Formats: sequence, structure tokens, C-alpha cells
Amino acid sequence: MHPIDPVSPAILSRVMKPARYTGYEWNSVSKETNTDLVSFVLAMPDVYEVGMSNLGLKILYQLLNDRPDTFAERVYAPWVDMEAEMRAANIKLYTLETKRPVAECDIIGFTLQYELSYSNVLNMLDLAGIPVEAAKRDENQPLVVCGGPCAFNAEPMADFVDFFILGEGEEVIGEVAAAIAAWKQASKPGGKNGLLQQLAVLDGIYVPSFYEVEYHTDGQICALQLLVPAAKPVIVKRLIKDLDQVTFATKPIVPFIEIVHDRIMLELFRGCTRGCRFCQAGVLYRPVRERKMETLINYVQELVDNTGYNEVSLVSLSSADYSCLSPLITELITRFKQQGVSVSLPSLRVDSFSIDLAKQVQQVRKSGLTFAPEAGTQRLRDVINKGVTEENLTDAVSAAFSAGWSTIKLYFMIGLPTETDEDIEGIARLAQRVADLYKQIKGRKGAKVTVSVSSFVPKPHTAFQWFGQNSVEEIERKQKLLRSLIKDRSISLSWHDARTSFLEGVFARGDRRLGKVLLQAWQHGARFDGWSEHFRYNVYMEAFAAVGLDPAFYAKRDRELAELLPWEHLSSGVDKSFLAKEWQAAQQESFTADCRHKVCGACGVCQALDAKVVDWGQE
Amino acid sequence: MAKLRLKITKGNPIRYVSHLDYAGTIERAVRRAQLPAAYSEGFNPHMKLAFASALAVGVTSEAEYLDLELTEAADITLLEAQLKSQLPAGIELKAAKYVEQHSKALMAVVNLAVYEIDVLLTTDAVWENVKTIIDNFNSEIEVIYVKQSPKGRREIDIKEYLSEPIVVKPLADNQRKLIINLSIKITPSGSVKPVEVLAVLTDNFGLPVDKDAALINRIGLFVTDGKAECSPIEL
Repeated sequence: MHPIDPVSPAILSRVMKPARYTGYEWNSVSKETNTDLVSFVLAMPDVYEVGMSNLGLKILYQLLNDRPDTFAERVYAPWVDMEAEMRAANIKLYTLETKRPVAECDIIGFTLQYELSYSNVLNMLDLAGIPVEAAKRDENQPLVVCGGPCAFNAEPMADFVDFFILGEGEEVIGEVAAAIAAWKQASKPGGKNGLLQQLAVLDGIYVPSFYEVEYHTDGQICALQLLVPAAKPVIVKRLIKDLDQVTFATKPIVPFIEIVHDRIMLELFRGCTRGCRFCQAGVLYRPVRERKMETLINYVQELVDNTGYNEVSLVSLSSADYSCLSPLITELITRFKQQGVSVSLPSLRVDSFSIDLAKQVQQVRKSGLTFAPEAGTQRLRDVINKGVTEENLTDAVSAAFSAGWSTIKLYFMIGLPTETDEDIEGIARLAQRVADLYKQIKGRKGAKVTVSVSSFVPKPHTAFQWFGQNSVEEIERKQKLLRSLIKDRSISLSWHDARTSFLEGVFARGDRRLGKVLLQAWQHGARFDGWSEHFRYNVYMEAFAAVGLDPAFYAKRDRELAELLPWEHLSSGVDKSFLAKEWQAAQQESFTADCRHKVCGACGVCQALDAKVVDWGQE
Repeated sequence: MAKLRLKITKGNPIRYVSHLDYAGTIERAVRRAQLPAAYSEGFNPHMKLAFASALAVGVTSEAEYLDLELTEAADITLLEAQLKSQLPAGIELKAAKYVEQHSKALMAVVNLAVYEIDVLLTTDAVWENVKTIIDNFNSEIEVIYVKQSPKGRREIDIKEYLSEPIVVKPLADNQRKLIINLSIKITPSGSVKPVEVLAVLTDNFGLPVDKDAALINRIGLFVTDGKAECSPIEL
């Protein structure tokens, strides 16, 4: 029954965290492998602890393994030490469940959560002994599919991937598995191309090889040619209309080693319509759809029984917006107190309501609270439609200090559209105000204010998709300016590497031609780009030069509204005209209300997908 | 309140799990099994679980002991059945019994660990040479091992912790494979790890084996007074 591990004890004794590579976790699924079963490998181009924390993969694992025609296994990116051992000993990338080579499976699916994980996709394919370029793979090699938020601009990955899935996977993954099962049963009519033709007609499926992009001489896109009849002109995302009706990850794998989110993850709802103009998730997951409180409580019961975890984290884009949050927390705390189960809330809104909630869930332990004003001045917060005032923040922080908290973390972005040095100064001023508030309320020093500043990266499908990203030099200048303005010793400042954000920006809004850059950078050693100790900026810059592309063309350039964008054919259901209207509203600093409570903002998603907002607080 | 003493294993599938993660795994299994576990007071309550001796990453064991405090003394066969159904691959429940509520902590009484190490002889090695090396080691009065840790450099005398001479024998069906038997004392002032003994054997005494590929298995933990020894579950 137990297969022979492909990796020897000698190797496992040399690498860090060897239990990343050995499997056998509680709730991991084992099936008798036979050739009729669709063998599906679910992959994350990052390490085990990160991959195992992804809720989407947990859901897909359960859904696929519930099917009698499919066996889903897992694989994650081996850390660099393990990669070196595997390459030296010629060990091919293997699945954690059966330890068989990934290359023997029918299909490998990667979730793309972050642009700087792309090189790891190539590296994992190569470690599996699978040609990285789709066109070079033969009939006997696995299909490669990608999903996740980055699939909404699939183009930089188009050379490497057979098809993409846009949007929520609960329904479409079953359609894909069924299509592959039928195709295998019928002895693979038409080969891989035949299968892709069938898949291409399914909603939400994008087969990049069925399209050809034509460019103007200046590098902008002039047209998208559809090469086969099955190719749809626009691929619209998939969406689950009623979240209470689909499978949730109630029997997730319980790892032996500590992972990033080592607790029960309870997804309260999908979508967020507060309408922050920088936020891609706020567009991609529209509209808001809540789960019923009763459904959630039943999930927690199942999850506690199935995992033995005693901490529940409420995860959603903005969990504090769940309409029944207070009764839900009360019910969870009372019902599971006996079993020692605690509840945690990862994201807080900047208002005093949040403090009451924080008190409710944290009771005595006063770990830090995190707020995200995002910008330093009211003007700039209006530009980004953050809908939060300085008064909201000071009220929330005052309430927190009065309630006994002393550690506050503030999240900001620099490099936002219309930003001036005054806005940077505003960050320092706001942080100082928070530190001063503590002294006013408590009559002594002792606050710990952590200011975390990320560099804004414009993302596709947002109102800021036309905005030219700040250059590396400009971001570094702003970081230095901010550093010079923060003098109080109770405030600590941290920021993101400007070059990392720049490269993220290039791939976020890149086109198909970037595939060549990615390939070359990977060939010259790029991997784990999101991990600062492995990020090699120069490898990428050399690759751009070799391929003859200018990264600034993708990141720094302001786009005209009329420009044909590389992701134009990949639709979130939100109209481009709505985003354009929001882009103009940003420049006029005008506020757009949350469509869930106020008037419909006419983004188009409900019409395009025949969906509606599901808010149980209003029923 | 009651104190339940368990004898469990750490098998090959979870060889590379650390002691802390192993303990967390047991905790989650106990919760899934819905045993009436007792928790500490205070805001961040933790399960009252105490092990006899930590086991290193990469080492398996046939005999790990732990005391689990319960809020009530439920029927032991029932508890065993509940727990068995929730144990992951690599952990088997071998025995369980109630012990005196105020019995001494396992960690304070267990003072001897017995290991078996499987190693492969290097290709040109001969068995006679191995025997000589082990005899040399056993006849030394003092063998110094230098412990390098982030906390600094420390010299320890390995022989101080070995209660008996090392025994080595080849496996009958495979002459390239060796089994080394070690009995290591666990004292209030510390102990030595089997991997450290092996390192001294290879690096200082020239034992011709691949130490990276060694498979270390703890076969017993005992309470001994120098004459008789018994396992914590027989106490």
C-alpha cells in the first residue's frame, strides 16, 4: 500500500523542513490508481506551507476527490535546497499522495495568485520533466491549466498553459473533469486539440492557442484573431450564484507541520462592493454573495470534527462586512466554547464597530490590531474611493487604546494616482497622530505603531488599469522622504522593495510577448521571485534586453482609454465603461457608494452573469 | 480529573515531523476523538499533554509515552477505540492506562532511551574492520563530541551517557547493512543524541558507513535504577 518514497532518507535528512515532501497527512485522499480515472494534480507555484493554506485548492481537492471518475493529488514548489537535490539525483517532481511522477498524470492545474510566482510554474514543469512551452508538449504529456486571480490577465503565461479557467471553480472544475473522463473513455478523439476544442466552448474556459494577437509598430495591440470556431470573442468568468449550494472545504487536509494559515478557514461570503479603485479582488469577485449563518455554523461543526483545529478564522475580502457578523460570532463562541474553539478576524474596518467585534473575539489577549487607511490625506483617500475619514481612524484607534490595545499596525500605499509629496507627508502625520492619541488617552507613552507601506501596482480590471506606475526611482525617493519624516521612536516603518513591485506591475499588465522574457529569465535562474532572498531583478532586466522589450512600456506607460488592452477578451463581467467612469471619478475625487446598500453603480456584473447581491442582513 | 498514560509510535510516514509538530498532531487527534481532555486555565488554554522525551526530526519510535489529563476517568477501552480511529498514518496506539493523578512527570522519571540504527556500509568496507572500530570505541574511557549550536560550542563526553557498550551486528540477509544498538542515559544535566554518537563513530573512529542515510529508530524508553528497567506504562 505504501509506495516507496522517491526521495532517499539521505536527501530528506539534508533539506530544510523535509515533511514538506512526504505527505500522509490526515484527510489526504488515496485512491487505487487505474488508467480510467482522471488523474488531476493540483499545484501551487510556491512552498508547501503557502500552498496548503490556499482555500481555493482545498475546495477543489475535495470537489474533485468526491467524484468517482477523478483522483486529485497535490504538488508544491520544492524549496531551492530540495530542487538542487532532486536535480542532482534526477528525481522528477512527484505527487504527495501516491509519490508518482507528475508527468504521468492527465492534467496539472496551477493556481496563479501572484505574478511573481510565474517562474515557479515553469520551474515545476521542468522539474516534472514536462516541456515548459505548451507547443512543445506531446500527446502523452499532461495538460496544463491555470486559474486564480492572475488568470484574468492570462497573456504573459499564454505560451506555457493549455487553458485557463476564469472565476470561481466549483462548477466548472466538474465540467472539465467530466469532459476529460469522457474523452479518455472514447480513446481521446482528436487528441489534446480535440479536447481543447470541447473545453473552449465551456463558459469561463480560455484556450490561448486558439487566438492570435496582432500588434501595432508601437507595441500596442491592434487586434485579436480567433483561429478556430470554438474560440469565443470574450471569455466571461464563472460565478456561483448561491454559495450555500456548493461544496465547501469541510474536510481539508490537516498538515503535520505548521503552515501559514494553520486553522479552520471559514469563508463567510465572496465579493466586496465598497469599490476601492485600486482593488482588483473587488472587481473580480463581484457581486457580494453571503452564505447563510446556519450554513456557516454547520460548516464549523463539521470542520472542528474533521480537523481537530481549535481556531476558526473568518476569511473574506472584508469579513467585518458580513451582515450577520455579530450574531455569528456570538453563536460560534457560545457553541464551541466547550471544545476550546476560538474565533479570529483577520481584517478590520476602520470604525468603532470593528473594535467592539475585536473585543468580542479577542476577549483578553491583546495582540495588535491592523487598519488600512491606504493613503495619508483625505484627498487621496477620495481618489481611491476608500470611503474612510481621519475621524473614522482616530475613533477606531481611540476605542482600541481605551479597550487596552497598544499595538496598532497601519497599512498604506505609495505611488497612487495623483499622489504628491503632501500625501506622503500625510502618512507620517497620521502615524504621529495615532501615536499621540495613545498618550492622550493613557497619559503615558507606550504605543507601538507599525507603518507598513507597499508600492502601488496598477492591476488589470480596475479603474487604475490605465495608470502609469511610478518608476523604481520615484518610489525609492518617496520611501526616503517618508523615512525622513518619521522621527517618533514609537513608530516603526517598513516598506516593500520597489523593484519587486515594478516587475509585478510589468507582468500584471503584460501581453503575450512577455512569455519570451519569462522563459529566458527562468532559464537564467529566476525562481521564487516573490521571496526577497531569491529575487533577481537583473536576470529579468537582461531577459527584457535580450528579447527586445522595454519593461517600462508595460509598467510606466499611461494608457489611453481607447487602447486595446491585453486582457480585453477576458471578462470579469464588469463593463470597461464602468471602470473608465471610475477612473474619471478618481481624478475628480468623487465618491462612489457601495452598491450593496446604496444605489446600483451600474458596473454591469449582475446583468452580465444573471446574478444578484445576496445579503442576509437585508432579507 | 484523571491522568491517562499512552504508549504510541512515530512511524516512517511521519519520520520527518518535529517533536513540536508531533505534539500538535496528537492534540488535534485527541480533539477529533472527543476525549474529555483537560485544558490549562487562563486566556490561551492549552491541552494538558506531557511527553516523556522529545524525539528528533528524522527519528522514528516504537515507544513514545505521554500523559494526557482528562476531566473525567471515562472507560478506557472506549477512549482507546475513539482515539485509534482518529490517529493519522504513522501513529499507532500501543497501550493506555490510568496512572495516579499526582504521579511524577514522565520527563522526570524516564532515564534511559534505547535506539537501533540502520546503516549501509560503504562499498569497500569489510565487516572485520567494523568490528575493530566498534571495539576501539567501546574500550575508550572518554570520547569527546563537540556540539556546535547557535548558543555556542560545547564539549561533551559521549561515554558518560552510554549505559552499555555499543552493539553492532550485520543483518543476516544483507551483509552491507548494519544494525547498531545504543542505550543512552537521559540525565537531569542532559543527554546525547544517537545521531551525535553516529557522527563520532564515522568522523572520529572511521566507521565506514553513510551517516546521512542512517535510519534511527527509538525502540524503547525506560525507567531504570541501574539494575532493573521497566517501561513507563509498567510503572
